[in-house]
This record gives sequence, C-alpha cells and structure tokens, in this order.
Amino acid sequence: MSLGAARETGKPRAARRYGAVNWRGLWVLYSRKAVLRFLRYGLESIAGPVASSCIFVLVFVLALDGGRAMSPDLTLAQFVVPGIVMFTLAQVAFDSAAVMIIHDKQDGVIQDVLMAPLTPLEIVVGYSLGAATNGLLTGGILLLIFAIFIDLPFVNPLMAIAFALGGTVLFAMVGMIVGIWSERWDHFSAAETFLVMPLGLLSGTFFSLERVPAGFEWLLLGNPMFHAINGLRAALTGHSDASLWLGAGMIAGLSLLLAAITWRLFALGYRIKS
Amino acid sequence: MGVINGRGLWTLYVKEVRRFMNVFSQTLLAPMVTTLLFLAVFALALGGGGRQVGGVDYILFLGPGLIMMSMVQNAFANTSSSILIAKVQGNIVDLLMPPLSPAELVIGVAGGGVTRGVMVGFVVALGMSVFMPLSVHNAGFIIWHAVNASLMLALLGMIGGIWAEKFDHIAAVTNFIITPFSFLSGTFYSIERLPENWRFIADFNPFFYMIDGFRYGFIGHADSSLTVGFFLVLIVNIILGFTAHRMIATGYRLKA
Repeated sequence: MSLGAARETGKPRAARRYGAVNWRGLWVLYSRKAVLRFLRYGLESIAGPVASSCIFVLVFVLALDGGRAMSPDLTLAQFVVPGIVMFTLAQVAFDSAAVMIIHDKQDGVIQDVLMAPLTPLEIVVGYSLGAATNGLLTGGILLLIFAIFIDLPFVNPLMAIAFALGGTVLFAMVGMIVGIWSERWDHFSAAETFLVMPLGLLSGTFFSLERVPAGFEWLLLGNPMFHAINGLRAALTGHSDASLWLGAGMIAGLSLLLAAITWRLFALGYRIKS
Repeated sequence: MGVINGRGLWTLYVKEVRRFMNVFSQTLLAPMVTTLLFLAVFALALGGGGRQVGGVDYILFLGPGLIMMSMVQNAFANTSSSILIAKVQGNIVDLLMPPLSPAELVIGVAGGGVTRGVMVGFVVALGMSVFMPLSVHNAGFIIWHAVNASLMLALLGMIGGIWAEKFDHIAAVTNFIITPFSFLSGTFYSIERLPENWRFIADFNPFFYMIDGFRYGFIGHADSSLTVGFFLVLIVNIILGFTAHRMIATGYRLKA
C-alpha cells in the first residue's frame, strides 16, 4: 500500500513485514550511508589515493637503476604495481569503514542505524560491503590507469577479482573494529600508523620474499597483506612467491573471524550503546 | 608594549607548540614510525649489493632525504591545520582581536610550525641512528636547511590555511602539491636519474635544493650548487613571509 493510499482511506498502514533479511534496509545502508557518502567527496577520497600511488610507482622506477629487475621474470613496474593496487585498495577500505563508524558515533547518527529494523549481522554486512566497494572502486581505477602505461598480462582475471575482494573485505573488517573501538580520532590514527601502515609497507609490495634477511621471512609469511598482494600479483603477472591456496585460506579465515568479532561487537553494543 | 608585543608573541608561540605537543604520539611518534618504515622498505627493495648513489651507500643517501621529507610534511600540517581549524571553529577571532600585529601573528604561528618540523626531524634522526650510521659532515648546512625548509613549509601552510575554506581544500593541497613535491624532489634518487628534458623540475624546485643541501650536511656530496640553494631558500622564505603578512594584514578570507 502506498503512502498516498493510506492517507486517503485514513486506515493505519499495516506494519511492514520482512523475510529473513531486510533487503531494502540493507541496500539503503550500503548505498546511501556507505557508498554515496564516499563518492560525494570524490576528489579527496578517490583522486588522493590514486595520485599518491602513482607517485610511489614513479619514485620507485626512478630510484632504481633502469635495468635492474625485482625478479627474473618481471620488470620493476610489473612487480610493484599489483602491490600498490592492493595496498591502496585495502587502505581505502580500512579508512572508509573506520571513518564512517567514527563519524556516525560522533554525530550521534549511529542511533539511526541501530534503531532501524536491521539485525547486527545486516549492519555489519551493509557497512563492510560499502567500505569494500569503495576500496574496489579506487583500486579498479588505479589498475586501469596503470594498465595503460605498464604491460600487465592479466593471467587469471577471476583470481584477481577473488584476491581483490578478499583483501578489501578483510581490511574493511579491520576498519570496522577500529571504528567501533575508537573513541577519538587519535585512536583511529594510532591504528593506522601502528597497524595498517606496517602491514601495508612490510608486505612485499616493494620487495620480494628473497630480499628479506634470513630469519625474518615469517614477518612476511604471517602478514595477510603479503598474501593478498602475492595473490593479486600472481593473477596479474603469473609470478608468485608463496602458496596461493595458503594465502587464500588465510585471508578467508581471517575475514570470517573478524566478521564474527564485528558482529558480536554490534550485537553487544560495545562502545556504541551506552 | 614596546615595538614588539613580546609577551603576546610568546603566548601565541607557546599555544602553537602546546597544540601539537598535546598529541605528541600523533605529531612526533607517528611520523617517526612511518619514516622508519619507509627506510626499511626502500633499503630492502633498493639497497643491498653495495649499491652506491652520490658516492655513498644508498641507505646513507636516503636517510637525510627521509628526515627532510618528514620535517616539511609536518611543518606544513601544523600551520595549515592550526589556521583552518581556528577558522572553521570560529576562534580565529581570538588570534585577530589581541594586540598582535600581522607580523607578530606570522612569526608566532610559523614559529610553531618550524618547531614541529625541527622536532620531528630530530626525533626521526634519532630513530634512524639506531639502524644506520648518521655522520655529520657540516652541521651548519644541516641546521640552515632544516630551519629554512621547515619555515618555508610552515609559511606555505599558513597561506594554504588562510586560503582554504574546507578541509577538502587543504587535503587537496597536501595530496597534489606537498606530497608530490616532497617525493619527487630527490629524496629517493639522485637527480641524475631524471631524463634530460625533465631536469628543469629540479632546477627551479626549492624542495630539491633544500633536500640536496640538507643531505650535503650529512654526506658531503651535493647534486646542485650549494650557494644557489643557500640563498634560494632564504629568498623564497622572505617572499612567502611577505605574502602571509599581506594576507593577514588585509584580512583575506579571515575577516568578513
């Protein structure tokens, strides 16, 4: 029954009924709250990370002696680009999720989300898929730009999508947990400096596993970002430093674990409901 | 009050310093951690194998550049955020109402930015010295370029903060001007690496001269003319200082 019809007949509208999932609510949370908000600041939110990633690649290519390659089968640019794309995509997903939640908490509008007929699980899915979409958008644009200048064979596009999806969902989850935990912006920037940046920079974006001093390989192999980058690199160029199945399993497992934690945090209202 | 409102100037300066010291984990420690990560990444990726740049090991070439990069980014962030936040929150009148002349305002606010820049540089250098040897070849050049580079970016930050009306504006300046300049001006590579017809980027780029001069203070090797760099940063600072002074004196985007 439409609103107009209800007014004309004067009868109260019947309560809206949902199936197992409140699809409309989920869609509104995902599109309006998460994605459109991000796109409204298009220049800052997309062009900023894209520009700094391009600078990174430029600096790397310039800083390295021309002929030297990272690994026998790849040029420097081919090696670095998948890493930069994955790093940017993950960072945007993290930022987007955390900033969304902190803003909503500070402005008090998180009440609107909590009051709406959405289950905690739907809230987690809506926010995190929104943040993941923002990450994928930025990463996709970046990849398109690089594909113009750099020869990327795209060995396995399906695998590329799978790893991109995995990396962005994982870091969206990390961002949500950080957003829930943060009470001030300091907390968020501390998490970014001491967690996301180290994971991103010490990840094999810029150097291959062989260059890590003996005894420190675990630092890379235990870093989910390394596996996400390695997977994307394998999918785009065919070069892999580690087991892809292990990487995929690790990313999927961690994502599920963090999603479960986020779900519990929302259900309990940790630092959200007073 | 005499010619200079000494107490007012001092109060303003102390306020600017306390503003960032209050959150020192964000303003001093975070830049140090990030810079050390950069050092690790670039040393792992590009160093090793006895690779030499500018007559020294790559890591010795890279270290001073990274210190300078963190200094300029933080000096800029300090003054631009100070002015812009004051404007957005409306408490900019507390700066404009007291008996402080425009020159005193410029000196007080820019002084805070210089202090942040130099302190960040010092903390970063301290952190770096744990992992690599930092020898001093000429302390005068180090101090001159550290102070002048911080001052230049502090003044740019003031000008940017006065010009900006929203945080987006200042984020755009940081993303599209400050970061590219500090990354592409010889922090990571010797300028010889640039293709011949792109060298002009370096010739007219004060960022390049200050990174190069600062690095000379450590390793004793410079790609550019030290005399040109020495005076160029001074001249640029005088011009920027006058610009900031004019903006405040005329009340551009400050007074309605």
